Amino acid sequence: MLEIKDLVTEYGSVKALNGVSLVAHVGKITTVIGANGAGKSTLLRTISALEQPRSGNISWNGKSIVGLSPEKIVRLGIAHVPEGHAVISQLSVEENISMGALFRMRSNKVDVKNAQQEMYQLFPRLEERKNQLAGSLSGGERQMLAISRALVSRPSLLLLDEPSLGLAPLIVEQIIQTINDLCRNTGLTVLLVEQNANTALSVADHGILLSLGSVVADLPAAQMKADVSLRAAYLGY
Amino acid sequence: MEIFLSAIFSGTSRGAIYALAALGLVLVWRGAGVVNFAQMGQAMFTTYIASTLIGHHYSYWLAFIVALISGGILGAFVDLTVMRPLSRKRSSNFLDSPAMHSTIPVIASLGILGILQSGAGIFWAAEERGFPTPVNSLGLVIGGKTMPFTAFDLFVIGTVFITLVITTYFFKGTGMGLAMRASALNSEVARLSGIKIGSMRTLSWTISGVASSLAGLLVTPSANLSPSTLDLILIIGFTAAVVGGLDSLLGSVIGGFALGLLISFVNVYDTPEDIFLAILVVLLAVLLIRPQGLLGSKEVRRV
Repeated sequence: MLEIKDLVTEYGSVKALNGVSLVAHVGKITTVIGANGAGKSTLLRTISALEQPRSGNISWNGKSIVGLSPEKIVRLGIAHVPEGHAVISQLSVEENISMGALFRMRSNKVDVKNAQQEMYQLFPRLEERKNQLAGSLSGGERQMLAISRALVSRPSLLLLDEPSLGLAPLIVEQIIQTINDLCRNTGLTVLLVEQNANTALSVADHGILLSLGSVVADLPAAQMKADVSLRAAYLGY
Repeated sequence: MEIFLSAIFSGTSRGAIYALAALGLVLVWRGAGVVNFAQMGQAMFTTYIASTLIGHHYSYWLAFIVALISGGILGAFVDLTVMRPLSRKRSSNFLDSPAMHSTIPVIASLGILGILQSGAGIFWAAEERGFPTPVNSLGLVIGGKTMPFTAFDLFVIGTVFITLVITTYFFKGTGMGLAMRASALNSEVARLSGIKIGSMRTLSWTISGVASSLAGLLVTPSANLSPSTLDLILIIGFTAAVVGGLDSLLGSVIGGFALGLLISFVNVYDTPEDIFLAILVVLLAVLLIRPQGLLGSKEVRRV
């Protein structure tokens, strides 16, 4: 279980997160929605230690992870797919995937090979393009690659930042469905940040609405989806 | 024809050394974002170590290996004691601005160069001394005919070739090499993949230290050893790196060989005085026509 208590993260003097508390349960999809600038990405970046919080606590399976480096946090089974299809475009598709498992290479070579094969089964288009540079992929393929790069480390918690950004609805549907299947079949815990509230709430178990760095609603996803006034007030539709 | 062939061979052997120096510069530039002006100072220092060992009647090969190892250690030492603490320092808004962020390490590297040069002067006296070759450096004689190249030329070209093969295999064929490329290209994605980017930086400095140390050992027999002899190689190596594209390892190697040949031809067909003019012309031409270098990528043009 991921437990966040009173988390405050600042950029200079601007409070991007202003006392955020939330819980993401194991094997469930928890989605964080909110308008631009609500602090959604900062939340994920603070969990994976790309940003250091000013105060508050983050604990994973009962242990605090605040103050650890991003490299350590990956080793605890927390994988972050940052915003904007984060792949390394000058490396090949295959290299991008193996990069995600390098740190497990020495301890379990066989399993790393298997994990790589599983990524190709999950996204067959990546296998067809495995020797191409990641920079030559389409936006959807890049997002699949970014997700594979994270999944190949066999995380137990996946932090996904706006996977739908700039993608065609059909591709978004496919990616979200893949994540949903993974979560239901393997017990992966997912924290999904989305601006596209409808898509996110339709697969999520639980919804958290952020506004200006604070949690304004924390409800089961179905209930949040049905609450028209809440969405009108904070998302504008 | 004889003269032409001889120019080709000596140019290739010179170029191989420049390629090494350029490779060392590009490794640290890509891996740590620093233009390391102390690089050939480090190489000078390790060549002195080799020279001292040879002076005490140890074999050339022992001295050679010790110099390469101390080159690696010196590189790592510079990173761990100077560059890494500098990159962590957050003292003021001014010093923390992006412009200063890339300038401070460069100034630090000039300081290290000064320390190494004056240190070498104190330890080993500033007078020039010779440095031996492991093989004969007279024209090679095959079947009674004197060839337009020396055994040492072949040794240099062979050694550099082997170094390049090993380096290529390391970067393209091993997980560690992939981790180094990933952290040089995108440190955020690399960290999120669990790659320890600090260690990768130190490793860049180490490999660069070994490559430069090798360049020092190979070039010194033709230039005598003094605390400032290798400055020239830094200038040529830097030009080679810019010609090839500062962020491309292959480009820097091609640039090194191209400059070697150019210098050799100017030397043979024109006069040695024009060498620097020719280098300057090539540098200007590249900067005007293709500022990212032969194989460099467009975005990276911070120097």
